Amino acid sequence: MIQKMLRRASVALAATGLFLTLGTAHAGGGDLLVAPTRIVLDGPRGAEIVLNNIGETTATYRVSLEIKRMTPEGALEEIDPNAVNDAERQTLAMLLYSPRRVTLPPNQPQTIRLSVRPPAGLPDGEYRAHMLFRAVPESRSVSAPVTPTSGVSIALTPIYGVSIPIIVRQGRLEATAAIANARLEAPGTERLLRFDLSKQGNRSVYGEVIVTRPGVAEPLVAARGVAIYPEINQRVVTLPLSQEQYDALHGPVTIRFVEDREVGSATLAEMSTVLR
Amino acid sequence: MNKMLSRALAGSLFIAAGMTAGTAYAAPVTASATASATILSPVTVTNTADLDFGTIVSGASAATVNVSTAGARTCGAGLTCTGTTTAAAFAIAGSASKVVTVSVPASVSLSNGTDSMTATLSSSAGSGTLTLNASGNASLNVGGLLGVAAGQADGAYTGTFTVSVDYQ
Repeated sequence: MIQKMLRRASVALAATGLFLTLGTAHAGGGDLLVAPTRIVLDGPRGAEIVLNNIGETTATYRVSLEIKRMTPEGALEEIDPNAVNDAERQTLAMLLYSPRRVTLPPNQPQTIRLSVRPPAGLPDGEYRAHMLFRAVPESRSVSAPVTPTSGVSIALTPIYGVSIPIIVRQGRLEATAAIANARLEAPGTERLLRFDLSKQGNRSVYGEVIVTRPGVAEPLVAARGVAIYPEINQRVVTLPLSQEQYDALHGPVTIRFVEDREVGSATLAEMSTVLR
Repeated sequence: MNKMLSRALAGSLFIAAGMTAGTAYAAPVTASATASATILSPVTVTNTADLDFGTIVSGASAATVNVSTAGARTCGAGLTCTGTTTAAAFAIAGSASKVVTVSVPASVSLSNGTDSMTATLSSSAGSGTLTLNASGNASLNVGGLLGVAAGQADGAYTGTFTVSVDYQ
């Protein structure tokens, strides 16, 4: 029965894989699926993460934990393992996971098991690392383009992957958030809504940004999965817009930062302003 | 498509749950059975095209070849460019309206074993942020500006660059 279910699951996944690659020439192995995309653990518990090869060829994936710090611009900056601080080193030491390297044929899922072993006397706080899933590049095959007799040929291979935050919460943690300084910007061809998101407290704040016009039910902009992490007190949230959204946003708006809908949609911060 | 993904995932997770149940139930048995399926929202990243500068014949002076994020080529003065060019393309699929940050290195170095070249990379997500659309899809393109030295040695130059899609 398990066999049958496995087959059913992989048939569905195979169909998905085909759908994704339709229309364009496929560049190479290493396509991947990762679920879930965020893990929060309260105390010594574990979690499982699914990694699936959705490419058309067998690929080897490496799973690693990295320290990333949020910049004031809201980017996640990778920190060299030699430059991590004591709390970050402790985070890496308390997170156990396996396997760390796995070779998967197409449409073969693999579960990565993660467990937390907080050391005795761990100070209250939020400890975070980012789990990175990335294909190991294959060595060039013999069918790769041969050296041209004259001229310069270029082959650039992308090594691509996904990282998800692994958050461990220890003890009583609290935080509040606030929104300020909302503005529309149009650098080059980009259209952006930007605002400052600040937090007070000792844990991250995570949620969904909903921009509405007073009296209109349908949101003008909705963006899920926005966080501000403990290492910074203020960040810029940048939301790319379509030209239509950019045009529609001029005027009075309410920007709300709410808890993820899966947690209960409580409002974390709110601001009413007029965008120009 | 998302629905299919979740269905497939639910299938695979259900199996995982079923397998672990075997060990968990080695404990004294109570007269109840639990069936559970967890639906997790996944992300997929698919590479749909490589960054390809085509073939370049170097000239008497240094020049550049640019491939825009749309894949269009601008061939520098004195260079001869042939072949088709493409920007690297990635398809990202996940939950609707999800915001992800993408990191693409500023430059990449290429080598044919003895000689090297440098390309500056440009990303279609100039702000470093992508919002998945209402269907949970987004695309990311990476173009580049390749510096070709005067009399750049012929050869097949290769290099790798890392692209990462980061969830917050």
